Parts: sequence; C-alpha cells; structure tokens
Amino acid sequence: MKKTLFAAALFVATATGAVSPAFAAPVSYKIDPAHTAVAFIVNHVGFSNVIGRFNTVGGDVVFDKDAVEKSTVTVSIDTTSVDTNHAKRDEHLRSPDFFNAKEFPKMTFKSTKIEKTGEKTGKLHGDLTMLGVTKPVVLDVTFNKDGVSPASKMETAGFSARGTVKRTEFGMKYGAPAIGDDIQLLIEVEAVKS
Amino acid sequence: MSELLQDPFVQSSILPLLVGLVLVGVLHLLRRPLAAAGIAAGFLAVFALVVGLPALPPPSSMGKLFWASAAGLLLGIVADTAGVRGRAASALLAVWLAASLLWIALPALDSLAAAVSVVLLLAAAMWVAFGRGSQTQGSERGESPTAPAASLLALALAVGGTALIGSSASIAQMALALAASAGGFLLWNWPVERHGWGLSGQVATGIAVLLAGVLTLFTQAQTAVLLLALPALLAGHLRRFLPQGHGLVGRAASTAAVTVVAVLPALVAIGAAYALTDGEASPY
Repeated sequence: MKKTLFAAALFVATATGAVSPAFAAPVSYKIDPAHTAVAFIVNHVGFSNVIGRFNTVGGDVVFDKDAVEKSTVTVSIDTTSVDTNHAKRDEHLRSPDFFNAKEFPKMTFKSTKIEKTGEKTGKLHGDLTMLGVTKPVVLDVTFNKDGVSPASKMETAGFSARGTVKRTEFGMKYGAPAIGDDIQLLIEVEAVKS
Repeated sequence: MSELLQDPFVQSSILPLLVGLVLVGVLHLLRRPLAAAGIAAGFLAVFALVVGLPALPPPSSMGKLFWASAAGLLLGIVADTAGVRGRAASALLAVWLAASLLWIALPALDSLAAAVSVVLLLAAAMWVAFGRGSQTQGSERGESPTAPAASLLALALAVGGTALIGSSASIAQMALALAASAGGFLLWNWPVERHGWGLSGQVATGIAVLLAGVLTLFTQAQTAVLLLALPALLAGHLRRFLPQGHGLVGRAASTAAVTVVAVLPALVAIGAAYALTDGEASPY
C-alpha cells in the first residue's frame, strides 16, 4: 500500500513539474529590442575601423538551460535601420552597393546547431541570409544570465555573441578589399519570456 | 596590376575604354556590321571583371541588369546578323527593354511613386526603341553611328554622374563604364565613320535605360534630373541643323560637334543633381 501511494505521489509530482530540473522544458523568449544590439566593425582602407549597428532587430529564442544544445535562435534584422552615425554613409550602405535595403529589407539568422564549449560558452552554428544569399556562419556565444530582471520583473535571459563573416561571400563586393571583407559582429541580446 | 584594376577610376574609365576599343576593333576585323555590339560586350566584360559574374538566377537588381543586358546583346547580334531592320527591329528592342525593366522593377513596385517611375522609364525605353530611325538615318550613308553613340554616351554619363552624387558608386561605375565603352566605339568612328549602329548598338542605349531604372527604383539618388538628359536622344535630329563639314577635318569637326551637343543635356542633369544635394559632392 505504501509503495502504491509513493508511486502515485511521484506521478503527480512529475506531472505537475514539481520534480525538476531533470525534466525542465525549453522556454520561449522574445528578443527585447530595447536591450539588444547587433553591431559590426569594418576596416576602412586600412586607416580605421568603422563601427555601425542595426537599430531594428527582432527574433525568438527557445532556451533549454539544461540541454543548451537543444536551444534555438531566430533573428531578423531590418537592413534599412543600419546606422553608422553618418546620414550620407548610411544612405550609401542602404544602396545596392551594400545592403540593397529596398530589395532586401531583411537579413535573417536561423540557428542550426549549438555546441557547448564551457560552463557558459558555446558555438552557435546557423544560416545567415543576406542579399538573398544564405551561408553557414559560426558565432562564439556566451550565456550571461537568466532569471527575473529587477528592472522589468520579467523572466529574462541574456547572451553575447561574437563572430566574423566575409561580406563578399554574400555578394556584397563593392569596395572590397579596401573596405574590409571581414566584418566583425558584436551581438548583445536580452530576451524576455514570451 | 591587380591593385591598378581595383582603382575605381580605372574600373570606370580607362579599363572600359580600352575594352570597348579592343572589342569594337576585334568585331571590326571579324564582322564589321556587328562592331557596335562591342559597346554592350565591353560593358558586360567590365561588369564581370569589376563586380563579378552574377549568379543565375540573379538574386538582385544588379544581377538582373547584367543578364538582361547579356540577353539584349545576344538579341542585337542575332537580329543584325539576320538583317532585321525598321519596325521589326524596333519592336524587338521594345519588347526586350520593357520585359527587362519590369523584371528588374517588380520587387520595387510597392508605391504609387515607384509605379510612376516605371511608367516614365517605360516611356524612355519606347523612345529609345522607336525613336531609333530618326537617330540613324541622318547621314548620307543611311545609318550614321555617331549621333546614337553620342546619345548613349550622354545618357550613360548622366546616369553615372547622378549615381555618383547620389551615393550609389557601383551603379555609377557601371554607367561610366558603359559611357567609356561608347567612347571607345566613337573613337573608332572618328574622324571617319566606319561602322553601322544597328540593333546591337541600340541595345547599349537600352542598357543605359536599365541602369537608370536600377538607380531610380533601388536608391535614393535624385533621378528625376535624368529627365533633363533625355534631349540627348535628339542628337540625330540636331545633326541636321549643325554645319556638315567636308573633307577629313570638316567631318571630324562635325562628328565632334554632334557629340558635344548630345552631352550638353547630360551635363545639365548632373549639375541639377549636384545642386539638389546642396553642393555636397563627396558624401564622406
């Protein structure tokens, strides 16, 4: 009788989620645009490195804290929101020479695989689609923190990612290599439980 | 050498001029009636060298421009080889130009302003297609190449200059490359006119319209000013009013005068584009 009661209690506890974390489910988050930044650094004719960013970014993160490899990331970037703190240059960046924003208003990233490399680090593999061309890219990702944000009082997860892409592989050939081919990416993401 | 080829000035002037000169020269030796095809061929060669060979099917408007131009060149060569002339040639040119423009414009047709731009571009395309007769029948030889080549030079210069001022350097480079390639053809026909124009030549003028289309629909350049350059298409008519020189020097002066007159509206258009940007030629 005791055994039967224990089994029933275990079943109820499992079904209600009281037994954790072994059964933790992936959690869906929405990228918080107010605390997310997608920035880039590109060499300018060897003299300096120009820093720019995209001001409109959105996307979803499905984060499985206990099995990070099962997490997924989808990001959509509005190419018209490119901002290098110079209106004329931004106009040029939106032109067919670079992002061709009229024809390709979105740039997307969809993760394909996440490898854990440390306690809080990993390699985020995914497909980056830019100018209608999709290529695999790998970003070094650091999981910063998750929990209830003291500011928003909402469940929040934060990540940082770094990586490099070759723009000419996506057909963005204008000015290369004088204007650097290697584009360093600096990505900071806060995502809020949806 | 490769550093030299990466210089934007070389890419949009000396390189296409030399490529145009060589290709027209090769066609002059191999098949003289097709010499004008060297202009479009030169443009395509420089495009492939500078921008690279676009993917097929092309994902972007510039890729579509390349393949539409290649199709036009093929059409011109086939039509000229088959001896297609007059209304039939004009109709072929009109169909190719309209189809190419719509193919390029389709992703940008999202507003009334874009629709109006496409209508204006189609009107210019029809002028290029059907105004051809008066452009090429102005000389004693029946098909003088100078006036239509000068019109092309002017239109390509206008598109290139406007693009350059409007921060669209790759379109500027390609338009100036087309102008330089036309310059190569003009040099072959100066002081003595050696070649016909044909559909192969007029296809190159169509490419200038396609470049104007990409510039208008996919950039923020002040392309309304390109309307000011359209009178360059009247170079054939104007030639009748210019003094016709006799002898080598006279003919050389007459040909040069037609070219200068054709280029004037292009300079007006470029000047207007410059004025509209508050005189800010170099963006950064």
